[in-house]
Amino acid sequence: MKRLPQTAWYAFGLASVLFMISPLAIVVFFSFTSNRHATIPAGAMTFDWYRELLANPDFWPALTNSLIVVGFVGLISMVIGTLAALALVKLRPRLATGISNLLAFPLMLPPLVLALALVTSFSWIGAPLGLWTVILSHLVFTQPFVILIVTAQMQGFDESLIECSRDLGASPWQSFNTIVLPIIRATLIGSTLIAMSISLDDFVITFFTIGGGLTLSTLIWGMLRTSLDPSINALGTLILLFTVGASTLALRITHYRG
Amino acid sequence: MSEVHPLISAMPATGTDARPGARAWLSVLSRFLPGARAWMLTPSLLVLTGLFLMPMAWFFVLSFWRLRSYRLYPDFSFRNYAAAWNEYLDAAVFTLWMSLTVAAITLVIAYAMAYFIRFRAGRFSGPVLMVTLATLFGGYLVKIYAWKTILGSTGILNQFLLATGLVSEPVSWLLYSPFAIILSLTHFLLPFAVLPIYAALRRIDETHIEAARDLGASNHRAFRDIILPQSQGGIFVAFTIAFLVTAGDYVTPTLVGGSSTFMVGTFIQSQFVNRMNTPLGSALSFGMLASCLAILLIARVLLRASLKVR
Repeated sequence: MKRLPQTAWYAFGLASVLFMISPLAIVVFFSFTSNRHATIPAGAMTFDWYRELLANPDFWPALTNSLIVVGFVGLISMVIGTLAALALVKLRPRLATGISNLLAFPLMLPPLVLALALVTSFSWIGAPLGLWTVILSHLVFTQPFVILIVTAQMQGFDESLIECSRDLGASPWQSFNTIVLPIIRATLIGSTLIAMSISLDDFVITFFTIGGGLTLSTLIWGMLRTSLDPSINALGTLILLFTVGASTLALRITHYRG
Repeated sequence: MSEVHPLISAMPATGTDARPGARAWLSVLSRFLPGARAWMLTPSLLVLTGLFLMPMAWFFVLSFWRLRSYRLYPDFSFRNYAAAWNEYLDAAVFTLWMSLTVAAITLVIAYAMAYFIRFRAGRFSGPVLMVTLATLFGGYLVKIYAWKTILGSTGILNQFLLATGLVSEPVSWLLYSPFAIILSLTHFLLPFAVLPIYAALRRIDETHIEAARDLGASNHRAFRDIILPQSQGGIFVAFTIAFLVTAGDYVTPTLVGGSSTFMVGTFIQSQFVNRMNTPLGSALSFGMLASCLAILLIARVLLRASLKVR
């Protein structure tokens, strides 16, 4: 391998960033233009597709359901994931690695297989499908991310801060509340946001475990299957706004870098 | 290192030591919550057991059951596996072939990107990593749908090609083809593959590379003998994720694959949704998983052998 000139690397970097972003940018762009089809020139700028989306009778129930699912999944996975991460760092390294790998194992399987396993099991125990089965199912693949982020973050935690506060006469509760909590708050919020993004974005597992109703991702699927309605672009933009926006925010506040 | 889960290995030095900070934090916490450690893992392990291990075990058991007039009967027969083999062998071979293609292409691009972020991006490394991570967590359906907009016969790419006179009529094989599936999945999987490779590259001690260079190794030699072998854990994980996701996907083939491109995921899904034949769907799933596992083991051996420092 000849040493590539730096400009070649920059060109490659730019190309790969464009490759990752441009399909998403196209969806956002065409959600604001008046043409029915994604054609150039794109026509005048318009909010018509958003108006059409809001007028869609399925949109509001789907949004409500998504908010319920995302809210519960975010909150529950933050609590149980943080608890697990706290316990894991206290365990012997080998055991801790083993348990974290086990907890993250569901991420390795195709979502379809997990979805079918869950839905056959729910029907086996006679549990009616609904939002709560979606929420429970999502926990399987959101909690590993919370555990990951919280564990990674705890490495930078400076023990001496607590010792100082204790030496200066703070009670354990005071030092937790005034030192530990402010430091980990960002991580907790960040990992909740990531869990929420993953939950909102999931289609396959939601589709199978919801039974009847709709969420934003199953609504977009339905729209994709039936027509090429331009308000899909508007809905896609909303989902991107939430998922990519929340993850970017989360990455900023947690300083998590993989 | 390669035994470690992708996303776990993406973290710097997981579980290497009970960290002092964490220990202090816990000691504060456990004053309020006596016996905290024991129950702190319980909720997560309950979720894993009740919503993953047990459902997977049950789904596996079902693959040996029998379906008669839309009702399930307990049995222990391999007829579902035999049926899956007879009916879907072609689709399975095609799917595994697609998975290998997608995994290989994704791996090469992802490696170059991770290498760029780690060694060559300079002040851009932060922003590029940020873009990669931000697009990881969102937009699965939107990404696939976007390619439909781009690749269609009246899509943006064809409009561009026609306008510039590069082609005289729309290129029809762009959408509803294996090409569209490979492109969409590569795009979707790229961030997932960059992350573990980047994590592996980040762990490489730069003094090793400098030492090799000081001892007269060429760039090529340093890359081959130090960087590549030390990142093989990340390489394998990236390959595994891309391979397994492609093998089990049915959304992408349904949306951009067209009516003649069938992958196993599509059949598993239709056994379940349209034909209510859970046992066959289950046998197909586990048969496919077993084949994937075999291929991944071979890939692992080949990778190890080819990266051995000579």
